[in-house]
Amino acid sequence: MGQRHTTRFCEYLFTILVVLSLNFVLPRAMPGDPFLILSAEHGEEIARFSPAQEEAYRRQYGLDRPWPVQYASYLGGLVRGDLGYSIYYNQGVTDILLARLPWTLLLVLSAVFFSTLAGCLLAGLSASFRDSALDRLLYPLMVAVAEIPAFLLGLVLLFTLAAGLQLFPLSGAMTHFADHGSLWGKAVDIARHAALPVLTLTLVRTGSMYLLARNAMITVLTRDYIRTARAKGLSPLRIFARHSLRNALVPIVTRVFLSLGGLVGGAILVENVFVYPGLGRLMRESVMVHDYPMIQGIFLLVTVTVLSANFLADLVYKRLDPRIGESAEVRP
Amino acid sequence: MLTVEDFSIVYDRDGSPLPAVSGTAFSLAAGESLGIIGESGCGKTTLALGIMGLLPGATVSGRVLLHGRDLTAMAESERRRCRWRHIAMLFQNSLEVLNPVITIGEQLTEPLIAHLGLTARQARERVTEMLAATGLAPRWLAAYPHQMSGGMRQKALLAMALACGPELLIVDEPTTSLDPESRQAVLDLLQDLQSRLGFAMIMISHNLPAIRRLTGRLLTMYAGRVVEEGDTAEVLRRPLHPYTRGLINAAPDFFPYKDLWGIPGVPPRAGSLAGCGFAPRCCQAGDFCAELPPELREQGSDRRVACHKGGIETVLSAHGMVKTYRLGDEAVKAIKGVDLVVRHGEVVALVGRSGSGKSTLAQMLVRVLPADGGMVHFFGRSIFDRQATAVIGGMQMVFQDPAEAVSHRLSVLEAVREPLDIMGHGERGDRERRAMAALAAMHLPTSTDFLRRTCHGLSGGQRQRVAIARALVTEPALLVADEITAMLDPSTQAVILRELKGLQHQRGFSMLFISHDMHLARKVADRVYVLDQGYIVEEGAAFEVLNGPADSLAMSMPAVTRN
Amino acid sequence: MKVVELGCRETGGSRSFWRMLSGSGRMALAVLATMAMIALAAPFVCRHSPRIASGPALAAPSAAHPMGTDELGVDLWAQVAHGGRISLLVGAGTALLAGFGGAAAGIACGYRGGLADRLTMRLIDILLVMPDLPLMIVLAAFFGPSVVTIIIVLSAFSWVTTARVVRGRMLTLRERRYIKAAESYGAGTFYLLRRHFLPEIMPLAAVGMIRLAGRAIVAEAGLSFLGLGDPASRSWGLIMHHALSFRGIYYTDFWQWWLVFPWLALTLVVTSLALIGRDLERMADPRIRRRGC
Repeated sequence: MGQRHTTRFCEYLFTILVVLSLNFVLPRAMPGDPFLILSAEHGEEIARFSPAQEEAYRRQYGLDRPWPVQYASYLGGLVRGDLGYSIYYNQGVTDILLARLPWTLLLVLSAVFFSTLAGCLLAGLSASFRDSALDRLLYPLMVAVAEIPAFLLGLVLLFTLAAGLQLFPLSGAMTHFADHGSLWGKAVDIARHAALPVLTLTLVRTGSMYLLARNAMITVLTRDYIRTARAKGLSPLRIFARHSLRNALVPIVTRVFLSLGGLVGGAILVENVFVYPGLGRLMRESVMVHDYPMIQGIFLLVTVTVLSANFLADLVYKRLDPRIGESAEVRP
Repeated sequence: MLTVEDFSIVYDRDGSPLPAVSGTAFSLAAGESLGIIGESGCGKTTLALGIMGLLPGATVSGRVLLHGRDLTAMAESERRRCRWRHIAMLFQNSLEVLNPVITIGEQLTEPLIAHLGLTARQARERVTEMLAATGLAPRWLAAYPHQMSGGMRQKALLAMALACGPELLIVDEPTTSLDPESRQAVLDLLQDLQSRLGFAMIMISHNLPAIRRLTGRLLTMYAGRVVEEGDTAEVLRRPLHPYTRGLINAAPDFFPYKDLWGIPGVPPRAGSLAGCGFAPRCCQAGDFCAELPPELREQGSDRRVACHKGGIETVLSAHGMVKTYRLGDEAVKAIKGVDLVVRHGEVVALVGRSGSGKSTLAQMLVRVLPADGGMVHFFGRSIFDRQATAVIGGMQMVFQDPAEAVSHRLSVLEAVREPLDIMGHGERGDRERRAMAALAAMHLPTSTDFLRRTCHGLSGGQRQRVAIARALVTEPALLVADEITAMLDPSTQAVILRELKGLQHQRGFSMLFISHDMHLARKVADRVYVLDQGYIVEEGAAFEVLNGPADSLAMSMPAVTRN
Repeated sequence: MKVVELGCRETGGSRSFWRMLSGSGRMALAVLATMAMIALAAPFVCRHSPRIASGPALAAPSAAHPMGTDELGVDLWAQVAHGGRISLLVGAGTALLAGFGGAAAGIACGYRGGLADRLTMRLIDILLVMPDLPLMIVLAAFFGPSVVTIIIVLSAFSWVTTARVVRGRMLTLRERRYIKAAESYGAGTFYLLRRHFLPEIMPLAAVGMIRLAGRAIVAEAGLSFLGLGDPASRSWGLIMHHALSFRGIYYTDFWQWWLVFPWLALTLVVTSLALIGRDLERMADPRIRRRGC
């Protein structure tokens, strides 16, 4: 099994290397002079770069030096944690990323948690009372929910609950310049701001989680070992908790890890709908002002995170299911 | 100890009920073993699951009494406490019978902790003992099911089943998908453990030798009903229901030399037939068989059969046959008092050395040769003259020498049509059609050219075929074949016998096959009579006589080659 | 439409295809067909131009402007109708490019195997784990927004799922006795493709393509919504982007038409495609069809 881990690890490492190289190649492979576009006008955001800033860019990218040297210094910088310097924000990329990352994590992790919980509970009900009225109602509803794109759903919630009914704030992660009496007050404020984005992401994810969990549970219930457990006269609770759940958990848990990739994409869009100051919003802002180091930094961070989640999924799957040998792949 | 009364299970699939088991009843004493046999889908496993109460989607009626308490009337929670503690089941071995993500140890100790209230440590100790009793080392407690081989999993399942010390163990197909060694090991183990622990056993299996070895009583199930019940050894030696006989005939373990012939047709869909479920496949089905399902009735001591005709009918029974020849002054007793029985749908071989009197006996039975003593009954009516041969559906004989059997003057068609002409049966055209059908059945051409040919020009094999076709044209219930292939070459012999056996199997008539060739007899016979010096010296099921001990007369007879 | 044709070939007759669809599937197909026709006939169906102002700014829906106007006074109905063309183009383009490309790759890998197969699988593995939206944003940012770029980028990502599924089916198919028999009779690859492989693969590919089209349309809308779309196009995402960029959109009710109509159009298309996709899936898999899941 150790050998298998190493192989997968190398594969992921290789993928990261590909991503890094892509990051390296892209700005240098762009058609035309990158700095022609540096002064961008887009909508209401105007960025004009002074010659000094352009010079800073040039130096940063080291465009006057041979490519292998550039690559080496690029990798060297990465190892040191230096993701470059953002001209627009006038700060190190790493610093900005670290400041904004927690908000995205809040959204994503909350959404994963709630959607898994809701999906599994509803699926448990559905599987236990299969073909009942409840099941027949839930199933198509969840199918529909699973297909709606996150940002469309977010827009609905934004305009009905926030702008319309004014139940939730329209944007931001916290009320600026507000003085909360206690930690509790601050927490409530953050929760109010995060509610709609989290709700959006959760709803979107619950549909597919439900479908997966329901399928897993139904499959497990038909298995012979459940019949054996009942023949042994074990209590229904034990059969459910120890025999059914344990087996159904395997595909569910792996899916949770694997879905992080899709959730990140959804989060990027949803953050922009709700103007939530996470990495997604940052990415858009950087794109608007053509802040290439920032764009690359975000891209790198997001990709590495998703890849790590996939790798974790592999590990977890192996631990949960002792049957997995050398040749199995993680099947979501 | 266990009594099942009028037990029925009906599946309710989307509103249309599917009866899986109907009106089953039997009882089991402590320590007794009961075998249940039948084709796939006949309801054996459903019955077992029903007894355990593991069929939530089915309506169960009838009673299951364990020590006088009715299990079907209990609430589920109470019944759950009975499971495994009193009645345990050894499921058919597959990878999925055990939970793949839980260790063997935990799965084995679960019921102990749940039912006997043992602590984890006590349970582990007991389980280790059980594993040792089945021959598994304690280290397998920490293993997962997929890490064990099929045979080892079977042993672990057995240990798990016996862990709580149940009074009844239901075993479902313990030897399927195991190699012969593992099979023997499991059966040895079951026998050993039963004698040591004294539990009663219900064994469901296709494996007839296993049933013979491990069970004392036997139930045959067909389409959800019990069709035969009795002592295991007796039923296997002398089955009374055609279905049981068919199952035994199809077991290569019992008939290692006989070609495999199953039971033609397929079991009916449950609840689709009004009468006897076996009637469409039965060799002796009568008109009323399709109207009413037969009841399970006593048929002799310690045997119950569900058949309107009381089991397999006897076609021919002969008692005290005697034949004396006069050679000058001397009286030579060729046949000295022979009893013979041929039942419906079976092939009986009459073997013996040359000169032992086989042909004499055969001709007496068919009443071609007058007997000096004894009675012959055909379907229960005693016959003296040609009452059985001059009718449709009677007895017919085929002789040894093909040259003599058919007149060389007649054309093929005339020769085959002869019996019908003599009997005056039906119209001319009808007779011709029957004759042609008989010829086709024996794989002879039915072209006008061939039909007009005189038998003079036919080869030995073809003439013999014509003789057989002539015998078959009257659709006899019994065909007496007196050394019919002795004068043919081996290849022709093989072909003709195979075709004849195929016809016999398909149409269900009985055959008395007379031969001096043991090997040949082994290939076709269900039962065997050994004739020596005018007496029947051995008789019985073919697997008893022909595979019997080396000092039996049958085995010591040399296989005579062609003369 | 492509969908119906493929379905016909598979099930033998357009009437039986229609009958096999569920009620929701039929409704979805009708909606989709209507929207496609409107998009294709946009210049004729719209009285006003989608680019030039033709009425007062931010006017509510009226007889003259059934969907109202945006902040520049451009008719919204015209924008939505023309925007449908972009979605149609992106959806169909990606579906065909990625669908056929993926299917071809899957067939080649599954049937031939060998080094090319292993390399392609590695590539597929890499592409599968990469989060597609961030990469698409990056590529769009660097290479500039245009519909063609978007189609190419989307296809480059989406071909992998179809390829994987098709390859899996090919692996099973390759071992079937009748294929081996045909090979032993001397059948060439082209014959096998035509006679055996394509009929089996077509249903899989068709379902994949519907999925692809739906995801591509959503992805394009998402990119446009972020402001990365082709500014020359009038895609629905872009309309929504402009709407949301308008200061004061939350405090007025202009959103009730400016945002709602493109949103509605997008949702209808996506949902219809999803329903048809599920129906096709159900039809292609006999197990699901029997169980009625």
